[in-house]
Amino acid sequence: MDEKLKLTRRKFLQATAAAGAVAAVGGIELTAQAAPDVQPQKGELKYVRTTCAPNCTGGCGQQACVYKGEIKDIIQASDYPDEEHNPRGCLKGISFSNLIYGPHRMKGPQIWRGEGNPSGIPEGYEDVSWDEALDYTGSELRRIIDTYGPESVAVVVQVAGTGHVCKGALIRLATLNHFSVLGGYEMNGDLPMSAPITFGVQSEELDTYCWPDAKYILIFGSNPLQTRIPDAHFLIEAKENGSKVICFDPCFTATASKADEWYSIRPSCDAAVANGFSRVIVEEGLYDADFVRTYTDLPILIRDDTHKRLLARDVEGLEVPADMPEYREAYVVYDERAGQYLTVDPEHLDLPLTTRLEGTVDVPLKNGRRVRCRPAFALMREMLSEYTPEAVEEMSDMPASEIERLAREIAMVKPLHIMYGASNYQWYHGDLKGRAMALLCALTGNYGHLGDGMSTYAGQYKLKYSSTGQWWSVPEEPDRKSAGFSFCYMLNGKTETMTCPYPEHGIKAWLIYCCNPFDQHNMSNILREQVESGQLELVVNFDFQNTTTSRYAHVNLPGVSWYEKKEMVSTPCHPYIQMMNPAIEPLYDCRHEVWIIRELADRINPGDKAKYYYGDMDPDDVVEEVIKLTFEKGNFELEGLTLEDLKKGPVKFRHANPGRKRIAFWEQIHEKVPFPPQSYPTPLAATAQFVKSGRMEFYKDEDTFIRLGECLPVHKPPFEETEYVLNPAARELYKFNYVTRNSIHRVHSTHSNNAMMRELQDDSPKVYLNPGDAAEKGIAAGDMVEVFNDRGKLLAEAVLDPGIRSMMCIFEEGWWSRYTHGTSYNTLLKMWINPIHEIYFVSQMWAPNTSWNECLVDYRKAGDL
Amino acid sequence: MRYCMVIDLDKCIGCQTCAVICKMHHAQPQGTWWNRVFTQGSDYHQSAVGSDGAYKIEYLPVSCQMCDNAPCERVCPTGATYKNEEGMILVDYNRCIGCRTCMAACPYGVRQFNWKDPAKEKEETGYAYGYPFDVKEKGKRLVYTQNRPAGVVEKCTFCVECMNEDGTYDTLPACIRACPGKARFFGDLDDPDSHVSHLIRTKQVFRLREDYGTEPKVYYISSNKSKNVDAGWADQSWENTTPNVIP
Repeated sequence: MDEKLKLTRRKFLQATAAAGAVAAVGGIELTAQAAPDVQPQKGELKYVRTTCAPNCTGGCGQQACVYKGEIKDIIQASDYPDEEHNPRGCLKGISFSNLIYGPHRMKGPQIWRGEGNPSGIPEGYEDVSWDEALDYTGSELRRIIDTYGPESVAVVVQVAGTGHVCKGALIRLATLNHFSVLGGYEMNGDLPMSAPITFGVQSEELDTYCWPDAKYILIFGSNPLQTRIPDAHFLIEAKENGSKVICFDPCFTATASKADEWYSIRPSCDAAVANGFSRVIVEEGLYDADFVRTYTDLPILIRDDTHKRLLARDVEGLEVPADMPEYREAYVVYDERAGQYLTVDPEHLDLPLTTRLEGTVDVPLKNGRRVRCRPAFALMREMLSEYTPEAVEEMSDMPASEIERLAREIAMVKPLHIMYGASNYQWYHGDLKGRAMALLCALTGNYGHLGDGMSTYAGQYKLKYSSTGQWWSVPEEPDRKSAGFSFCYMLNGKTETMTCPYPEHGIKAWLIYCCNPFDQHNMSNILREQVESGQLELVVNFDFQNTTTSRYAHVNLPGVSWYEKKEMVSTPCHPYIQMMNPAIEPLYDCRHEVWIIRELADRINPGDKAKYYYGDMDPDDVVEEVIKLTFEKGNFELEGLTLEDLKKGPVKFRHANPGRKRIAFWEQIHEKVPFPPQSYPTPLAATAQFVKSGRMEFYKDEDTFIRLGECLPVHKPPFEETEYVLNPAARELYKFNYVTRNSIHRVHSTHSNNAMMRELQDDSPKVYLNPGDAAEKGIAAGDMVEVFNDRGKLLAEAVLDPGIRSMMCIFEEGWWSRYTHGTSYNTLLKMWINPIHEIYFVSQMWAPNTSWNECLVDYRKAGDL
Repeated sequence: MRYCMVIDLDKCIGCQTCAVICKMHHAQPQGTWWNRVFTQGSDYHQSAVGSDGAYKIEYLPVSCQMCDNAPCERVCPTGATYKNEEGMILVDYNRCIGCRTCMAACPYGVRQFNWKDPAKEKEETGYAYGYPFDVKEKGKRLVYTQNRPAGVVEKCTFCVECMNEDGTYDTLPACIRACPGKARFFGDLDDPDSHVSHLIRTKQVFRLREDYGTEPKVYYISSNKSKNVDAGWADQSWENTTPNVIP
């Protein structure tokens, strides 16, 4: 008895993990005897381990307690082999049954039969049989394909990592039918453009259990205490380990409250702050010159006349390496020791440590002329010289008195980890800010080691593996393939500078899976108008919740939740691949998405179901077959993994470096493999063209960078190239910066309708205001406030929070518009397309991004409602 | 043996998972929360307090303090509220007459009145959540049921449904197991070798309103305990009222 009392958390967790393993041998169900929480006589309780997977990056193992076919409660499975991950989960995941059984659960297929087009009202939808719904959808899609071409059918899934097989099934449908696939990553504004620009990768990040390995943590506008609840304890543990945490955020956040130091800087001025630190580090010689010479483009010579990198092919006596791939280019450095120019071989990170970083050189060219050049480092130093502490304070409100001290600490204390929040990079100049932060890490040699580097955590988009058995493509029929397209263009229309192909007739049909864009995306009102006007002729929605999107859809084909099916899940935040498992049968007349999609496939092209979707095999068995195929034909990360392993519990992706935790850019830093590592599933050639030098690039020389003066990561203030260009009067009319942050009570718009979450918020969407600002407008706490600009409006209850910076207006995103009196918080936004993001178009890798926070508004007290 | 709970406020991230798991596992109807998380001194959760750049956001999870000298037990006219052998304050729902004297007596405001008929509640919410079996302590007293009748007073039970008949726990209370911040601990206060005893001995701990002499068995760790911690939460409204049904 006493022994049981002394059960420590560690022992308890080991016990649950063991119970999970035992249970897995006999299938997925834990017996009552083996499960925790159960007395032997309660044998009717069944425990099932699944994976919670909204688009939050949690990817948390959950255990459902099932009684008489109904889920009674949910708690974290706590079965991760790396014990620090236990327990993973949050308040939303453990109350998920409110969505499964709640009043907004879709109960079966529906077709819009109301007058005109759908317009957001629930009336007008008719419950129909699956056959009727699928026949209708199939024939409508066929009509649209025949009339406008298959590329006028768009597909979006949110998002790959939350369900590789079901979401893959829809992408497979797009592949088979030549549809356009909208990149969810950029649609959400989550693609951190600084990553492809600097490293040639989609993004990179530390697994969150590496946070305690850092000794110095800079948080720029990220709020993990609210947005990464399962991982937040790693930040606290980092502090317990002796890390120093510095938080830069316009507002005092929950994360700021746990930081050692917090600085309220002006919105979107982070590049100025980072450059202020870099200037001190360069001026005081605190930078890691060897690292800079070995891994970055900073020694490369830049021509004074064209502002382009000097090409080896143009220089007298230099040649391009014979076997250089097409996507590379060979540039030039000057080696001081040898006194000669050297070709930079883009396939090898092996320049001598004596390359010139400063000064100017007159380089003899093959055409007999000479051209004056400077190393990129010298140009960078010149650029940074403007960021004196006083100038940085002027630009950003970062106190000048703190800049030198912090810069010296940043240079001295390793490992340094920078967390760059999505809310901070979802701005017009988000890429410049990220590039400035990346430079700070490069100058201090903070890449490739446990606990160092720069992380962005946004969305569960990431594919951590590649497989020749890729389910979403059809390798045996290379002619059948989808086209990439961008949501930004779908809403904005064409731009002069776009490189993305635009469907001749635009988008006429849209298949939407696990996404609620009619609330949740920029310019949702424009999207609604596209349906109401008939421009979008067909919207097909696969959600299991009755969201706003389901009220703009022409057809609802409801799928099921992660307690009703098998599926495979991964996330950027932790190194595990996991399964969903059915705890209950699909509710009502909802169906496994694999079933829905293959039935639809057959109605578009009879025979495709049998040929490409395993015919009439049970959908859960299809999931297992696809996992098997993926593993069998998988690359390095999946090597040695089997379906049987996965059925026993979470399995870990392999990684190249020694030790149990993966280290980003390990191969580049330690094995001198050129940048970039491959970003799956895109072929290396497509992303390697972003960094032609094979190095981290801080000097960009594509024409658009030169034209816009953004070759180096300079600071550019917000709104100057967006709001103030669109409407110069906005300077006076709309002075408040409108930022839509995440709430602990929702995962974007998922859980908007969770009754318990709504209770915790008094069932009232809130706008967070600075008390001084609100007082000037005669607004008291609890007042209904109208937030407005030329584009739209939002109604919400005022919270007067002294931590909110003056001239800001913060709304917690995700509320369905039925809770905001019919208004939508995304109607205030605009699609600002940055030409830098159009230089290339590689879907989900280099593409235009939505920039949610580049938005100005005003607000006033609303009348009584 | 006396069970106690230790909550580390340095680790608490204010996520309210403890409150929600408690509600879910114990079939608490709308309007009822056995466990809550306050942002001290603020009307809105996770909203800052302070001025002129000096701000703070500090949390305080509060559930039944399981007092050794429990006012609620003393005032209960029917003996429904009692202290068991393990030092836990429990309510026997068969004996509770809903007079709410205990609610008036409790200085922590944690007791919740059940306004709802569970059968009707099920009809409204569409399904019944929570641990589905009745728990009779020592085979006699009904200390947990999913179907608590309207008109009883309820509160945290230290997850008595997890406790074996011999007073041991095979699995820890739900809030301990679910806390994403790993901030909550549970164990025997009388056992000097237990982890909770170790924490109480080695960390800076405090209890709520120790001046009342209630001898709570919920301890809080805080390396920077704010002086106004008691005032911070006591000002905040606790009462559960007749809930509006949320459509």
